[in-house]
Amino acid sequence: MPKQMRQQTDAQLRESRLVFYKHDIQTIDSTLRDFLSRSKSKAALLVDKDGHLITQEGSTEKTDTDTIAALVAGCFAATREMARILGEDEFSALFHQGRKDNLQLSLVGTRTILGVLFDDTTTIGMVRLYAAETARKLSSTFRKIIARADADPTGGSSDIGAGFSEAAANTLENVFGE
Amino acid sequence: MVQINFANKEIQCKVVYYGPGMSGKTTNLEVVHQKAPQTAKGDLTSIATEGDRTLFFDFMPLDLGNIAGIKTKFQLYTVPGQVYYNSTRKLVLQGVDGIVFVADSQGDKIEECIEAIENLKTNLTEYGRDLETIPFVIQYNKRDLPGALPIEELQARLNPTGAPYFEAVAATGEGVFPTLKALASLVLESINRDKGDVPGSSARTGVSGPTRPAAAAAGPRRVAAAGPRRVAPKPVAAQAPAGRGPARATQKRPAGRQSAAAAVEAPSQPRARPAKRAEPMRRPAAKTGKVKIKERADKGRLMLVLAVAAVIIGAVGFVVLKFL
Repeated sequence: MPKQMRQQTDAQLRESRLVFYKHDIQTIDSTLRDFLSRSKSKAALLVDKDGHLITQEGSTEKTDTDTIAALVAGCFAATREMARILGEDEFSALFHQGRKDNLQLSLVGTRTILGVLFDDTTTIGMVRLYAAETARKLSSTFRKIIARADADPTGGSSDIGAGFSEAAANTLENVFGE
Repeated sequence: MVQINFANKEIQCKVVYYGPGMSGKTTNLEVVHQKAPQTAKGDLTSIATEGDRTLFFDFMPLDLGNIAGIKTKFQLYTVPGQVYYNSTRKLVLQGVDGIVFVADSQGDKIEECIEAIENLKTNLTEYGRDLETIPFVIQYNKRDLPGALPIEELQARLNPTGAPYFEAVAATGEGVFPTLKALASLVLESINRDKGDVPGSSARTGVSGPTRPAAAAAGPRRVAAAGPRRVAPKPVAAQAPAGRGPARATQKRPAGRQSAAAAVEAPSQPRARPAKRAEPMRRPAAKTGKVKIKERADKGRLMLVLAVAAVIIGAVGFVVLKFL
């Protein structure tokens, strides 16, 4: 690929980054808490399509949420591919029924997935109803974030310290040194 | 894409092991899981067929701890090696930050390696990415086998751009950590190099990319891994491309954690590759649930009978009283 084109691609990728500020995260968490209280669900996870966990609310202490996030993203990616083959744009919701707990996945905007863990203290109908409403609220929050990022593409500078490289080398030596 | 949380000082990176079928990608991950410090590793999750092939991906979180005050986590993935599963291979590459290409050194596998590396480039192009701009290392695996090609030949055919390369015998653990160490170093350097391009600052308490806030990160980190966790899918081995079985009969992966440990402890011994990987862990049958449901149904029926009986007794009593 020509260098110029490569730079353009990298620039596009950087521009496509979402920038969350602390109050954004507070807004998102508050929306999730409200959702949990109204739908009577146990926990809610917000996962990006790359498999990284963005935030979580509810009782997830005993759950390996990193792995759940990776699997949720994989699951949704596979579903999207199925939708494409079947001529759909996207399947926007998925439901996994368990013996005790259930998992409902809903697409939020174009980049994130809302995973809801719930048991028989509520119903799938309640969860779906409030999940759709929450997805709309979160999409609106994300649209504001993207609009702000477009208005200020520089976004400030990072505060990764100058000693990061050296510290990284030492850590890698400690972890992987044989 | 690297997730950087400046408010919470946390970095998450996604690393993918790519390569042709049975080249040793999952074995690499198993060895990392086996040898990484307890405090660093999470559970190894593998979605594989009963025929020992990775169906979707293997996944393992690796927590490197604090680097210059920034909590650094790597998420390690492998992809299915078979062309048959290319759609899932492509999905795992989404948002990748660094790639290890695990090549089979044997002469009769070179064409498969070339095909896989071309396929990697094609899949990355579909995400608007370019292999030359992504941290990338090559691992020449199975160096101990008699049919292994010389490094010069492998380099000429698989690595024309001169990416860092490592020789390995993943089944014994040899070369696995140096490979990952080099790639992790490249990924972290790339973050540091691009730091001016990364939006967000401590003054703004901003985070770049979707990431986890302080409150969300408070959940306990699982470190005491109980060995590779297998998610057993339906058997689909019969769907794997035909005609490859006999050629691969001598290239089985170590049978789970114990054999890998034995191999790591005795690197000088010939490679012991048991014929079959440990049986995937299965969920116990949901008998309890069925029993409970049955009990509930029985209770419901009893209540109904009692209600009907009460109504009949009431009606009879009413009629009797009226006639009296």
